[in-house]
Amino acid sequence: MADPVLASMVRAQGMENARHYMAATPKVQAYRDSWVKLAPYRDGPVNPQRLDVSDPAEMAQRVKAKALELGATMVGICRLQPHMIDLGEDVPHEFVIVACVAEDYEKVIHGANAVEEEAMRTYAKCTEIATELGAYVRNLGYPARAHHNGGSEVQAIPIFYQVGFGELGRHGSLINEKYGASFRPGFVTTDLPLAEDQPREFGVQDFCMNCNVCQLNCPGDAIPKEHVMTHGIKRWIIDLEKCYPYSRLRDEYCHLCVDVCPYNVKSHPETYKAFMKERKQVGYKTPKSW
Amino acid sequence: MEKLYVNEIRPGGEVSTVGLFYSRAEAKTIIAKLQSIPEKADCRYEIVEAAAALPSTNPPKQKREAANE
Repeated sequence: MADPVLASMVRAQGMENARHYMAATPKVQAYRDSWVKLAPYRDGPVNPQRLDVSDPAEMAQRVKAKALELGATMVGICRLQPHMIDLGEDVPHEFVIVACVAEDYEKVIHGANAVEEEAMRTYAKCTEIATELGAYVRNLGYPARAHHNGGSEVQAIPIFYQVGFGELGRHGSLINEKYGASFRPGFVTTDLPLAEDQPREFGVQDFCMNCNVCQLNCPGDAIPKEHVMTHGIKRWIIDLEKCYPYSRLRDEYCHLCVDVCPYNVKSHPETYKAFMKERKQVGYKTPKSW
Repeated sequence: MEKLYVNEIRPGGEVSTVGLFYSRAEAKTIIAKLQSIPEKADCRYEIVEAAAALPSTNPPKQKREAANE
């Protein structure tokens, strides 16, 4: 088990593995199997006949159109920087393309099993997209490696931020103005010349300073009130020791911090309001303005 | 479980939190990895104990259950 905190908690409870991983339904297991099967195709031979790229902006549009055609909801591109690569790993590429698939909010709010299935469905889709997109770029004559649940050497959040998907929120995930934090990624690193997207700020960090809805709805009380600063960005660091008993040591997944975030209201106004009304009835906090 | 912040201190004095770690050994491993990066050769690192958790402000389980009945 790669996560040392989870491993030590599992050991302390005399378990062999986290229950969350042992209790997969056949459908969830099939999704997990799909990225294991695609892992050997993360990289591959490059077409020796390289396409000349005179216009990186036009090429970026082409790559983005391809990712959307493959089923991505959002696509972004940036230069691959050292802090985006896992410590101790080497990724010898200049750019990273990120393709995200949004979760269906109508599904995820129906309890932990529904979240688990939808999360794994989107991860499986992202794996397919990253694998196909990597092959597409290699066919243009440029090296490319897919990064997904079947194997990855890149860090999602700094890449999300750099391509302008959004800002880091109190619950520890990046918040997009349309999809909240309800989306999952796949990546392709490459040397194909591409125009870069830029970070985009729209007030998430200030909003999170006053909102607190995720913190007050967390069943494990794992989201802190206070933030720390990392290179000028506010980070509310989730206490994994409190989060994992709800999100990993049980049979099912937990996703509540993402589901209650008011940024979901833009994409699903009625569903979000109905969901929060139910939460309010059982004693949880809803956004101040209601 | 022990809770420790690792802070990075840049030559100009800017302090940046690397993350929250749950054992001194894990914190030291991260620091060693960061120190092996040439661009971070001038940075210093400190391990700081995280403040004890504040009492929960979430409604107690009994209250939620009572409201649910």
